[in-house]
Amino acid sequence: MSRVHRTGAFRRLACAVGIGAALVSSAGCGLEVGATFPGMGYDDYPPDAYIATTEPVYFEGRPAYWYGNRWYYREGGRWNHYEREPPGLYQRRMQGPPVRRTYEPSRGRSGPRPAPGHFGGRPGGRR
Amino acid sequence: MESPCPRRTPSAEQDYRPPTWHMVATDMRGARMKILGISTLSKIGMVVMALVGAVPTVGCGGGAANAPPSATPAHAADVDDVAAGLMEHHRHHHHGGVTLIIALSLDTLGVSPEQRAAVEKIRSALHARMAPALNAEQELTAVLADGVAVGKFDPARVVAAIAQVSTAAAGVHAASTEALNELHATLTPPERAALVDKVEAHWSVWQKANAEESDPANPERDRLAMLATDLGLTQEQVDRIRASLHTKLKAVPQFDPKEVDAHLRAFGDAFRGNKFDAKTLGAANSANAHLAGWGAAQLASFIEAVSPVLTPDQRTEYVQKLREHALHNSSDGENP
Repeated sequence: MSRVHRTGAFRRLACAVGIGAALVSSAGCGLEVGATFPGMGYDDYPPDAYIATTEPVYFEGRPAYWYGNRWYYREGGRWNHYEREPPGLYQRRMQGPPVRRTYEPSRGRSGPRPAPGHFGGRPGGRR
Repeated sequence: MESPCPRRTPSAEQDYRPPTWHMVATDMRGARMKILGISTLSKIGMVVMALVGAVPTVGCGGGAANAPPSATPAHAADVDDVAAGLMEHHRHHHHGGVTLIIALSLDTLGVSPEQRAAVEKIRSALHARMAPALNAEQELTAVLADGVAVGKFDPARVVAAIAQVSTAAAGVHAASTEALNELHATLTPPERAALVDKVEAHWSVWQKANAEESDPANPERDRLAMLATDLGLTQEQVDRIRASLHTKLKAVPQFDPKEVDAHLRAFGDAFRGNKFDAKTLGAANSANAHLAGWGAAQLASFIEAVSPVLTPDQRTEYVQKLREHALHNSSDGENP
């Protein structure tokens, strides 16, 4: 192999390594991909009643729910969450709390309410 | 899990811009320009080092800027009022079976403004198709409320009213196929997936709400416990109701969720797909009749067990609550 060809091969290798490193780094710290969380307990995902009464936010082609200070989404029949909050979901969260539907007055305290763990939202939410 | 990335202060968040591939490429070009005087292999190595080192810094800034706020209890929603209200709703409303669950799931689907009118029209159509079943359910509740009011039930009327709920529910799916097909055509794939998630969630809540035994995790959400709070029942009254209920529920055939489970699986698998035809869901009518009929029978047994132990004031209040349930229309799009 000539010096020129060898250098070209190294360049391509370096480029591939660099892009790979960029992707891994982005996934780990900024953009975040979904991953299961081994430390999660059995109940550490949105309860059924929460899913049934709360509007999701559609992000990356799937519905996501803000619950317990995390964004959860379902994939392959199980719940995952974003380890780091994606900027797009952060921006949506800052626009206001998710809307929840109240089906029966309960103890006189009914009406739309911010999702648990929500902060920075305005009363009322989107509709 | 703690992130290795440093967190930024709230003031730094305001200046934050997410990293883009353009920024990464610019960094790459800059790194190469600074090392032009060094051998090619060294340049490559340094570029790689620069990329590996620089990109995580950019990425960490993005992640840290969106660090979650301080923790709150993860289980708060499990016992919140909205969840309790949904449980109560599922205890009293069974009329459309799975079709009712699908219609309820549309309430919080969160579709785009462009889709909203179309989805609302479909939701209204589904509730209209369920109207005969709703009327039957309202009639049953009225018959039961009459029984509570006078302290005596007419068994023939109760049985006939329960049967009518089941019969009416059996016709709901066949009447709703067009609306369901239109719904599938209207929703995007993520919205279809969200709908199926919600249908499954409602079904799970329905089963918990109508379980004979109380949920050990949430005993205060047990149907009888909630009624005790609402009506101010004494412990002795609760014990008498529970004993009577245990006997009465033996007369109600045990609910077998397999039929509904199978129908929901078939619906979910089909609805997530690109092609959907509600007419192919052959088990739907039977599942709806099973769910609605059993729910109606269980509701009747519960009310019949409660009635004999009530004081006059409690009786008056309970009758009023039942009549409110009978008039409650879940097709109302607004929060009650």
